[in-house]
Amino acid sequence: MAHRHTHGPHSIDRLAYQSGMRGWNPAFKTVLAVGTLVFCLAADRPAVSAAVILALAALQKGKGKLTLRDYFGLLLVSLAFLLLGGAAVACDISTVPAGDWQVRLPWFYVCASADSVRFAASLVLKALGAVSAMYLLALTTTACELVDVLRRAHLPPLLCELMYLIYRFVFVLLDMYGRMRQAAGARLGWRDFRTSCRAFGGTAGNLFVLALRRSRVYSDAMAARGYDGDLRFLEEEKPVRAAQIVGMLLFWAALIVLAVL
Amino acid sequence: MQPILQVRDLRFCYDSGVPALDGVSLDVHAGERIAVLGPNGAGKSTFFLCLNGVLAPESGQILLDGKPVDKKARKTLCERVGIVFQNADDQIIASTVASEVSFGPMNLRLPRNEVARRVDHALEYMDLQAFRARPPHDLSGGEKKRVSIADILAMESEVILLDEPAASLDPAGEERLERVLARLSDEGRTLLISTHDVDFAFRWATRAVVFFAGRILADDAPQTVFGDAALLRQAHLRRPVLAEVFDVLRAQGMAPPDAACPTTVGALARLLGEK
Repeated sequence: MAHRHTHGPHSIDRLAYQSGMRGWNPAFKTVLAVGTLVFCLAADRPAVSAAVILALAALQKGKGKLTLRDYFGLLLVSLAFLLLGGAAVACDISTVPAGDWQVRLPWFYVCASADSVRFAASLVLKALGAVSAMYLLALTTTACELVDVLRRAHLPPLLCELMYLIYRFVFVLLDMYGRMRQAAGARLGWRDFRTSCRAFGGTAGNLFVLALRRSRVYSDAMAARGYDGDLRFLEEEKPVRAAQIVGMLLFWAALIVLAVL
Repeated sequence: MQPILQVRDLRFCYDSGVPALDGVSLDVHAGERIAVLGPNGAGKSTFFLCLNGVLAPESGQILLDGKPVDKKARKTLCERVGIVFQNADDQIIASTVASEVSFGPMNLRLPRNEVARRVDHALEYMDLQAFRARPPHDLSGGEKKRVSIADILAMESEVILLDEPAASLDPAGEERLERVLARLSDEGRTLLISTHDVDFAFRWATRAVVFFAGRILADDAPQTVFGDAALLRQAHLRRPVLAEVFDVLRAQGMAPPDAACPTTVGALARLLGEK
């Protein structure tokens, strides 16, 4: 059972570490992403949404050095959900023909009007703009920097430390599980459904025991380096450049102009 | 000379009830290179954790610079005695190499610029500057090991305990590790290394301590320890290859019969050259 690790948490995490915008101040990126999100939602204009989508794609390509293929590949994932939701908004079900277009099915009609389609399209566009704004953060900022931003925003330290450690343990446990999975595969553990169920149960149970043991060793290792209940790291200083702030304000001003026009 | 660390009749017991340390006494002098030998489960790792102050011994005493370390002063043990864990993944907690190395110095409550200096120095020392912004789950086993050593270097502990550091390293990694150990020793650090590699212990250590079932079986110069066949059998150790070869050479009359066994291949070559 060969498998590759190209999707899932690995890939988004890796993109964030490789991003050309990783050196930007994380708090600045958060403000930019959240601000743009708010503009996109508040303006509620297809032109603004489209501008947000295109501008952020250009930013990810130009400054983030992300290939458009990767970027739109990721955007497509959410687009699939949005289109399904949009279709549900655009269409209506009725027993008599209504609206501008109908599809006749046994017992009922699926109908849509030009207005409802326009509304659904602008909704999908708006949601996609919001998703792009969040991708701006997710694809350029590593999880630990996000936690640091939250910590500075006065989220309780306990929650921040939990998030930080969970992030690290996800990879430790994934690694452990991957190895156990391979070991089970090497002994034909996935040959048929019944064996697979047993092997999965076994590895999952084992993972739990190992995780418990691991946590004890970890707390020893942390105590050995003087941990006393307060998780502290040296964060790299990433100063905000004036040009970045000016760029952000210009972008927002352009969005306001688009919204008012 | 005042030993830097003195251990008096240390006893420790895990939940299973079997004593992991059963009356261990040892003096460690500054600048010593001590190889801690013995089979798995002999108490080496537990001993290290007690020395570093993570585990509180049930009885017995640890003296730092001649002053007994009580419960309150256990933190000073952490500061002055660093421990590199056997499995680097058990030790690494941060999400980038640089912040990982900063964890120890930050816990020492040092000022920011001092922490930054120490992190830079430790990364330079372990040749990790190129990795500073990388996440640890992206590194190979050998690279993670180097990070875990840099972790302790950044704390600038006088005594460094390494728990089987060469386990899971490739030959190039082992060579690099030995270079680092030699440099640390030259700089006057005190090193205790637990290892199963008798050849390494023989050429590197100034002193060999053999653990068995929670006690110290032997504590002497490596040449003496590895010359005691009964002791080696009891502690499940084998003789270093160099000692075996030297015996053969001596039996064949190719080495002087009264010379002590040289600890390195270079020293053996010199000895044979003299003859």
